[in-house]
Amino acid sequence: MSHPTKRSATASTDASSSSAAAAATMKKAKSQAVACSLDSKNSLSHHHHHHHRQHPDDALFDPAASPMALDDDLKSDDQNARGAVAANLSRKKATPPQPAKKLLIKLRKGKPTMPPNFEEDTWETVRSAISAIFLKQHLSCDLEKLYQAVSDMCLHKMGANLYQRIERECETHISAALQSLVGQSPDLVVFLSLVERCWQDLSDQMLMIRGIALYLDRTYVKQTTNVRSLWDMGLQLFRKHLSLCQEVEHKTVTGLLRMIESERLGEAVDRTLLNHLLKMFTALGIYAESFEKPFLECTSEFYAAEGMKYMQQSDAPDYLKHVETRLQEEHERCLLYLDASTRKALIATAEKQLLERHIPAILDKGFTMLMDANRIEDLQRMYTLFSRVNALESLRQALSSYIRRTGQGIVMDEEKDKDMVSSLLIFKASLDTIWEQSFFKNEAFSNTIKDAFEHLINIRQNRPAELIAKFLDEKLRAGNKGTSEEELEGTLDKVLVLFRFIQGKDVFDAEKSMISKLKTECGSQFTNKLEGMFKDIELSKEINESFKQSSQARSKLPSGIEMSVHVLTTGYWPTYPPMDVRLPHELNVYQDIFKEFYLSKYSGRRLMWQNSLGHCVLKAEFPKGKKELAVSLFQTVVLMLFNDAEKLSFQDIKDATSIEDKELRRTLQSLACGKVRVLQKIPKGRDVEDDDSFVFNDTFMAPLYRIKVNAIQLKETVEENTSTTERVFQDRQYQVDAAIVRIMKTRKVLSHTLLITELFQQLKFPIKPADLKKRIESLIDREYLERDKNNPQIYNYLA
Amino acid sequence: MERWHAVASWTWDAQDETCGICRMAFDGCCPDCKLPGDDCPLMWGACNHAFHLHCILKWVNSQTSQAHCPMCRREWQFKA
Repeated sequence: MSHPTKRSATASTDASSSSAAAAATMKKAKSQAVACSLDSKNSLSHHHHHHHRQHPDDALFDPAASPMALDDDLKSDDQNARGAVAANLSRKKATPPQPAKKLLIKLRKGKPTMPPNFEEDTWETVRSAISAIFLKQHLSCDLEKLYQAVSDMCLHKMGANLYQRIERECETHISAALQSLVGQSPDLVVFLSLVERCWQDLSDQMLMIRGIALYLDRTYVKQTTNVRSLWDMGLQLFRKHLSLCQEVEHKTVTGLLRMIESERLGEAVDRTLLNHLLKMFTALGIYAESFEKPFLECTSEFYAAEGMKYMQQSDAPDYLKHVETRLQEEHERCLLYLDASTRKALIATAEKQLLERHIPAILDKGFTMLMDANRIEDLQRMYTLFSRVNALESLRQALSSYIRRTGQGIVMDEEKDKDMVSSLLIFKASLDTIWEQSFFKNEAFSNTIKDAFEHLINIRQNRPAELIAKFLDEKLRAGNKGTSEEELEGTLDKVLVLFRFIQGKDVFDAEKSMISKLKTECGSQFTNKLEGMFKDIELSKEINESFKQSSQARSKLPSGIEMSVHVLTTGYWPTYPPMDVRLPHELNVYQDIFKEFYLSKYSGRRLMWQNSLGHCVLKAEFPKGKKELAVSLFQTVVLMLFNDAEKLSFQDIKDATSIEDKELRRTLQSLACGKVRVLQKIPKGRDVEDDDSFVFNDTFMAPLYRIKVNAIQLKETVEENTSTTERVFQDRQYQVDAAIVRIMKTRKVLSHTLLITELFQQLKFPIKPADLKKRIESLIDREYLERDKNNPQIYNYLA
Repeated sequence: MERWHAVASWTWDAQDETCGICRMAFDGCCPDCKLPGDDCPLMWGACNHAFHLHCILKWVNSQTSQAHCPMCRREWQFKA
């Protein structure tokens, strides 16, 4: 059926050449052909069958003259050779066309002619049907016949004319239908349903017409370029007349926008109506131009106003909740009735008006509050929403300044130095939780937190570092009591995190006590070493256990003192200057027995006592009550002298203990001039002089049973502080030297300023330019560098 | 006196300061290790020469050494 024209053309030539007698015979063959077509279940052949049966009664035209009949004839002709015969005979016999010999084919006389008014009459039938369809009247002619009529006209090459006529007919009705909407109901919803009704009707009607004229659609329209299918023609007509009736189109769009707006304001609207009308716009191809554009403008206006209003009315978290709801609503709107293509632009519009414009205001108004209150969920919402409008950078900056501001409050408040480390730890932990749960572990945010912390820990030079050192010290000293092993480890891990932020890490080795153990921590090795330290502590526990069980301990150890020893692996810990002290005989016994035990267990080792690090718990009977004193070993040694003496001079004590002068002064100071005065100094005074003497403090009183006599945690004197700084600088100067040589080795020649700049980049600790200059001088002296002969501002590297 | 937490530190008790093979300090570790101490222990031979365990093992297992002590060329035997 794809080439009916061609076929009918061939058919007519065939017909003219064939004899009239053939017609009768062919009729016989025709019925076979029809049977065959029926067999093949081809619906089009089916139509032919009907048509064939009909036209003798219709007497519209001579069956033989009808091109349709000819078409059939031709068909039967070639099917006679294949299908029809094959239906009766076996294939083998069918090959020689012998039965054809018996056929007598006679030419028919005269050419087949068409009834004179065929086109007009047929069109009239079709036209009245179309009209009836549009007017919703009963069809006088059945659809089958109408279909036939159209296909007949097509076959007579009247397709073009027919198409134009149908178009004109449709246009009249469509135009009338749309005109009828003009001036209709002022109520927009009613009007919209009228439009919907009209559209629905016209669609149905066009479908019906298309059904009748299907043949036209399939032949003429298909083969002719620039001709729309009947359905498209209908749409085109609708579109044309809708745009002619500006009022209708305008009213429809306004109606739609109003409905959506009232839905946004919380009213229930007929979503099906919206859906149908918008489908209409899409079908007409005017969705984007006529609806979407004003719709987006409307949306933009609506949310701009709403955004302003809500920002003033509600606080940031509520506002964000509202935005989230709104975005969800708009998303649903797209699923329910808007065209899917609108979604992107719509959401973007809403996001822009509700979020993008208010980002700074939202952050200003709510961020600090949310962070302070640790509102994970709201912060998460903020993050998610902000990520939609690429505003994460602003959020990140807000986070950074928040940490800096809050942290500064913690770090700079000198009065709260005592709690600084724990406050920082709490602060960091809450930030981490927020980062994990609200910010989806965004890497940039993690870096921001790190950077901000690094910044604020280093704002007060070395103070936070010192406080962290003290904090660690306290925690470790208190290690055995109160906190479990896990808790302690947890705290230490957290402190280490803070520790990582410290630039002047090496300040730690100036700290006298336990924290100086962190000395070698600077750089990549620091966790390794720390693990080593923990391992030492663990191992020491085991050793102590087995020492208690050992035969040496049981047989030789004098009872009375519970001794435990931390055995340190030298490499993990900083080197402590050996401090001489003459221990009471008793204690020496303990140490010797332990040493013996240890060396028997681990051969090839040397064990050295670090007496400056030891500490003890003493029982003291004061006249006003028994007390337990937690003191250092040095303090112990001094105090134990007073078991046998009432009054001792500084020199006595020095001779008896042989503790180094400065250390002894400090120890005595802590016992007689500190908060807890177990001894009395004669005469009274803050500093220990050579001719001072000391007596046991009979009047000692304290509310608590257990008392810690702060060992050497005295305030650092100015002198001490400078010596500390000096020692730190001594350590650092090697790093400076190394950095200078490293830089000069690659650059060979470099000006002073450039060298200094590079040094500041490379060196991880704060340093004064003057100190750098000293190091450069020293390297020149040692002939690593020389000043350029022509320009003293330039250094040359000497290989 | 009731309780006493003493602190002691240990070092390897060898005649030399440094390992004769890698020339690193005994208190440090061999070039393959990161941490001194138990992870990189010393080994004494029957001849009383000490080396890092890792160093001497490498030496003894290499073709050229014929399992002699690198210091005194006596046959290497681990000290019991």
